[in-house]
Order: sequence, then structure tokens, then C-alpha cells
Amino acid sequence: MIDRRKFLTTVALGTASAAFLSACGQSSSSGQAGTADKPVTITYTWWGNDDRAERTRKAIALFESKNPDIKVNGNFSDFAGYWQKRATEAAGGGLPDVMQWDLSYLRDYGQRNQLLDLGTVKINTDAFEKSLLPSGQIRGKTYGIPTSTNAFAVYYDPAKLASLGIAEPDGSWNYKEFNAFLAEVGAKGNGTLFGGTDYTGIWWNFNIWLRQNNIKAFTDEGKLGFSKDDLKKWWNLTADLRGTGAIVGEDKATQLLPKSPFGSNVTATEVTWDNFMAGYLADSGAKELKLVPVPSDDQDNLGLFLKPSMLMVASAKTKYKDAAARFIDFMVNDPEVGQIFKTSRGVPASKTQRDGTTFEGTDKLVVDYEKSIEKYLKDAPEPPIVGFGTLESTFKRVTQDLNYGKLTVDGAVDAWFKEAEDLIKQNA
Amino acid sequence: MTTTATPVTSTSSSPAPAYNPKSESTTAKRIKSAIFHIIALALVAMVLYPALWMITSAFKPNSEIGGANNALWSNNFSFDNFATAMEGIGGVSTLTFFTNSLILAVGAVVGTVLSASISAYAFARINFPGRGLFFGMMIATLLLPFHVVIIPQYIVFQQLGLVDTYVPLLIGKFLAADAFFVFLMVQFMRGLPAELDEAARIDGAGHVRIFGSIMLPLMKPALISTSIFSFIWSWNDFLGPLLYLNTPEKYPLPLALRLFVDQTQSSDYGAMIAMSVLALLPVLVFFLVFQRYIVEGVSTQGLKG
Repeated sequence: MIDRRKFLTTVALGTASAAFLSACGQSSSSGQAGTADKPVTITYTWWGNDDRAERTRKAIALFESKNPDIKVNGNFSDFAGYWQKRATEAAGGGLPDVMQWDLSYLRDYGQRNQLLDLGTVKINTDAFEKSLLPSGQIRGKTYGIPTSTNAFAVYYDPAKLASLGIAEPDGSWNYKEFNAFLAEVGAKGNGTLFGGTDYTGIWWNFNIWLRQNNIKAFTDEGKLGFSKDDLKKWWNLTADLRGTGAIVGEDKATQLLPKSPFGSNVTATEVTWDNFMAGYLADSGAKELKLVPVPSDDQDNLGLFLKPSMLMVASAKTKYKDAAARFIDFMVNDPEVGQIFKTSRGVPASKTQRDGTTFEGTDKLVVDYEKSIEKYLKDAPEPPIVGFGTLESTFKRVTQDLNYGKLTVDGAVDAWFKEAEDLIKQNA
Repeated sequence: MTTTATPVTSTSSSPAPAYNPKSESTTAKRIKSAIFHIIALALVAMVLYPALWMITSAFKPNSEIGGANNALWSNNFSFDNFATAMEGIGGVSTLTFFTNSLILAVGAVVGTVLSASISAYAFARINFPGRGLFFGMMIATLLLPFHVVIIPQYIVFQQLGLVDTYVPLLIGKFLAADAFFVFLMVQFMRGLPAELDEAARIDGAGHVRIFGSIMLPLMKPALISTSIFSFIWSWNDFLGPLLYLNTPEKYPLPLALRLFVDQTQSSDYGAMIAMSVLALLPVLVFFLVFQRYIVEGVSTQGLKG
């Protein structure tokens, strides 16, 4: 527990020492350093719920006890508010020293020189998969270090399948078999249980399918790497399932918000990131959920990859580069930090941290799943292009219109391509 | 009217309706009143349903809230959500969030009432050069969306080193930056007879005396509605505290509420709703205590004119 008085003294000490050091005019390329008597104070900010706040507080306390010359002031907000606040701070030039980061915002802030090139400071990345690190790099500069990874998977609820008398899938399926599976659940579920949501509505699923067919989603110049025909083929995959029990209707899914159909026990499967496990368990109250790989027509190429579920970045304007680097290094590599977070941030990316953590129950399921797909993993995609978030949400929206029957597949493809090309032109 | 009502009543229960026209009309009135009340109650039920949903959900386990669950009541009734909500977040107790919200809200009320009434007095009663221009400028700030000024404002407060204090959240209230309240009070003051001021001036009162002894007491309804609104707005404000506060120990309730719901992890809707219920109580109490003054103020106003 950090009590109020100790906290205030810390802040006072930190500010005083910062003032003292800047008054001495002591500055070097590595920034200012503190001592145990006069620690420097860095700020760290993250998004997440009360559970993450509690775990992070423990991790910070551990860091401070191991590094008496550095104090860390933590602050947190929810995901949506987090980016509003960052945008304002970036405009005002006051980003916190160290930040938890999301892949989709990396290029945006990195290109505007708001983030520190972490290649210029000392952070140990020996224990990281070499295929993972490029996802934090833009044009040769390292802006983010992944804390943890997630991978795409098909979730299913074994209890629901058992009640319908359907055998559990083993994950070695092609799209035809997957569709047949969804249709079977839909037929036996009789209007109360659906197969799943329309998996063609999720951008990352499409990206994986492209990889399975050896097509790049984006070219190196930041243009679209696939054709209208590719997208047409993709959206036609579930054409026969839309409007049947295999896929839950869009109107029904909207009624269930903010919960997902899977979290509301309305569907038996969901295709998404494996780190949603805890959320689905909490929402649905299910005893157990299982994970299997995504379908692929080429069983040797599942198109899967590890994506950083979040990254650690530092502000380009931080006065305490060394302290920031040490804190990032600690958060991504320290085994005890792994013990604190388990898989709540995703599966630890650093092998040192992963091996030093004991996983049980659901945590173990997610870790085991990522281990089981290890041999299929390919390089993570580069940080998404600027404006990617809009592309992703347009993709979802257009598929919703498809499901409402407002658009045909051809019309949907045209609509999405028009918006995507406009957006890429704007940001070029 | 009576002809249509008679067959209805005679078929139902009334023993001797035929020769008593007075009772007939009472029955008709009763039926009309019953219909009116049924419709009114149905509307009330519709309006209050979300509140009822919130209160009952606060006692449900998380997995039974929202999604495919339509039932208002759950058999798994428990106070667990309230316990979770009171545990606090990241080592900061929920009581701290309440205290912070209260400090901000009371500060906002005091600041707004003081500054807006004084500014309104100047606009409504003092004939200074450029009054029209300044009044126009003040109204113009009403038209300026908050989002336009966020970043310039943030830069100013950041350069002044006031980020992570309550100053950026409260200073505007003490400087009558809420043009809406100034405008409200100006309009109210313009409705008060100018003869009262003149009489006071003849008796030798200056602006301070006129404002303090004549205007303020007469303005009670406007002051009360200003208090209620600024209290509620400050209590519910999310964006201001989000941008300006960096220390969790200084967070008010709306920031804390959001932390129970995180789509990227897991969401505890139960705890969030329980905390919402608790967070509503002070606003409700504040409103109940002060709302009678609004009615009182309006009804006594005519007497003083």
C-alpha cells in the first residue's frame, strides 16, 4: 500500500530533485539520473480495468524497491479516454515518460516524432522472438517493445456443444468444414443457439486468410496489397450462411451490446484474439472455454502470427531516458512481473518472463494454445498504416450492412474499396 | 357524456345509477381519472424503467447483466457488486473518489454562483461603455464548442504548471466562464423591476449594497437553479478531469466508473452499476433538498413585483 503521506513525500521529493538537477544544468544524452537519496520520478500511464490497476500497482512497488533511485508515478484511464488524453497531451507537448501502447496508434505517434527511439537506450530484447520485434519498429527505428502477445483463435464452449451432441472440433479444418460446423450448431441450436458471428466481418480474420493465400494486406508503400476479387471471395465465404442459424443476425447482436453474442451465450463459437478469454469467461459465466486454430484451406499455412497485445513506449521528450528504459526493461523482462500479470496483458513476450511465470487454469489454456501453434507462426505484420483504425471499423460496418441485406457482396466490396482508397490518399 | 357513461356503469357495479345524475357524473369522472392515472403511470413506468433496471442490476451477478438476459430480477440476489465497488481501484479507496467529486462539485457551485451573479449584475444593471459588445462576446462563447478550445486551454494550463491540480477545473467557475449561467441570471435580473434599485439608490445605496441586499435575495430561484445545474454538471464531468488529472488519488467518480468496464480485458458491469447507483445518491439528495426552493421562488415572485 502506498499511503497518502508517503505518496506526497515521493512526489515532493521527485519534484524537488528534478528542480535541483535541472538547476545544476546537469544533462547528458542519457538524460538525468537519480540516486537512492534523491530519486528521479518518472510517470507511467496505462489503460485497463480495476484489476490491471491493482496488478500494475504491485509491479511498480516491486520496481521501486529494486531501483531506489527511481520513483514511478502511475496513472490510468479507460481505453477510449486514454487516447483522448494522449492526443491532448501530445499537442501540448506533455506526454508521460513511459506509456502502455496499442499497435494501431504506433505509426501515428511514431511518425510525428512523439515517441522515443528505444534503439538509442539500453533495453534487453534477447529473450524476444525475432519475428515479433518488427511490429514495434517503423523504418528501422524501434518505438515500442511488446509486453505480451496474442494470436487469433476459434473459441468454443464445450458444454454447449455437448448439450447439442456435437463433437468438439480439433482445429484442423478448412473453411468448408468450419462452415459446416457452424451450420450444424445453428440447425441443432434451433434459434436459441447460433453457430457464431459472421467471421468475415473481422479485418484480422481477412488478413490471416490473405496470408494463407500468400497475399500481403498492405504493400511496403502503404497501399492495399489485395484486389477487389480477393475481398469478393472472402465475403462470399459465408454468403450461404447469412440469415441462417449458422450466423447470429446483426439485429440480435446489436441488442446484446455492450456484451458480445459469445459472451451472452447466444453463439457457440467466436473467432478472435486469444487474450479475450478472461472477458468471455466473466461475461458468459461459462465454466470452461477452449481454443483451437483458425480454419485454413492449406493446413501447412495457417497464416497465424503473434501480435503484440500491447507495447511499452517512452515519450520523445522525456528528461529521464535511462530511468524510462530501465522501467520498460523491467516491465517486459522481469519474471516477477510475469507472476503479477499472468496473462492479463496477453502471454508474456519475453522468454525470460514467460519461463519465470507459472500459469494455471485459463492462463494455462491461452499459453498452451500459443505454444501449440508455434510451428505455424510467421512474421508479425508491420505496424498498421495511419488511419488503420478507420479501415478496420469500416470493414466491420460494411459487413454489418451485408448481414442486414442492405448491400450485396459486390456493392460491399465497392463501398469498402472506395472508403479505403480515399483514406489512404488522405494520409499519403 | 352522461348518455355514453350510463350503460357502462349500469353493466358494471353501481346499484342504483338511473335516478341519481350526480353520482353518474362522479362515476364518469372517476373513470376518466382512472384512465388518466393508468396512462400517466404507464408513462412513468416507461421513464423509470432504466432506473429500475439499474437498481436491480446492481444486485445481480455480472454474467446475468445485459446480453441475452431480459429478466429484471435475478434469484442470485447479492450485495457483492457493492462490496467490489467499495473496494476501490488500484489502491485508491472509493471514498476518495467520492470526496474528490464532492470537492469539485461544491467548488463549482460556490464559484459559479458568486461569479455569475456578480457578472450578471454588471451586465443587467450597470451601464458601462462597451456593455453590448462584451455581452455579445460572452454569448459568442456559448456558441464555441468545448472541443475547439480543449487543446489551447490544455497548453495554457500546462505552461503554467497547473496540470494535475484542480485549478484548471475550477478557475473557470470562479471567473464566470460559464456564459450560460451568466446569461440565465442576466435574463432573470432584467425581469426584476428597476424601481427597486432606484429606490435604494435614492436611499443612498451603492452597487455593492443594491447587489447584496436587493438583487441577491430576489434572485434566489435563479441562484438555486444555477447551483443545481452546476452541481450536476460538475458531478458528471468526465472529459475535464480526464485531461487535467494525472494522479489517481485526485480522480473524481466518473473516471473511476469507467475502469470497471474494459472491452480489451474483462468488464465488471455489476460493480460499475453498483457504483453508479451510489454515485447517483448525492445528486439525488442535492436535487431533492433544493428543488422546492425553485418552486417556492417562482410562486413568491409575483408578490414582490
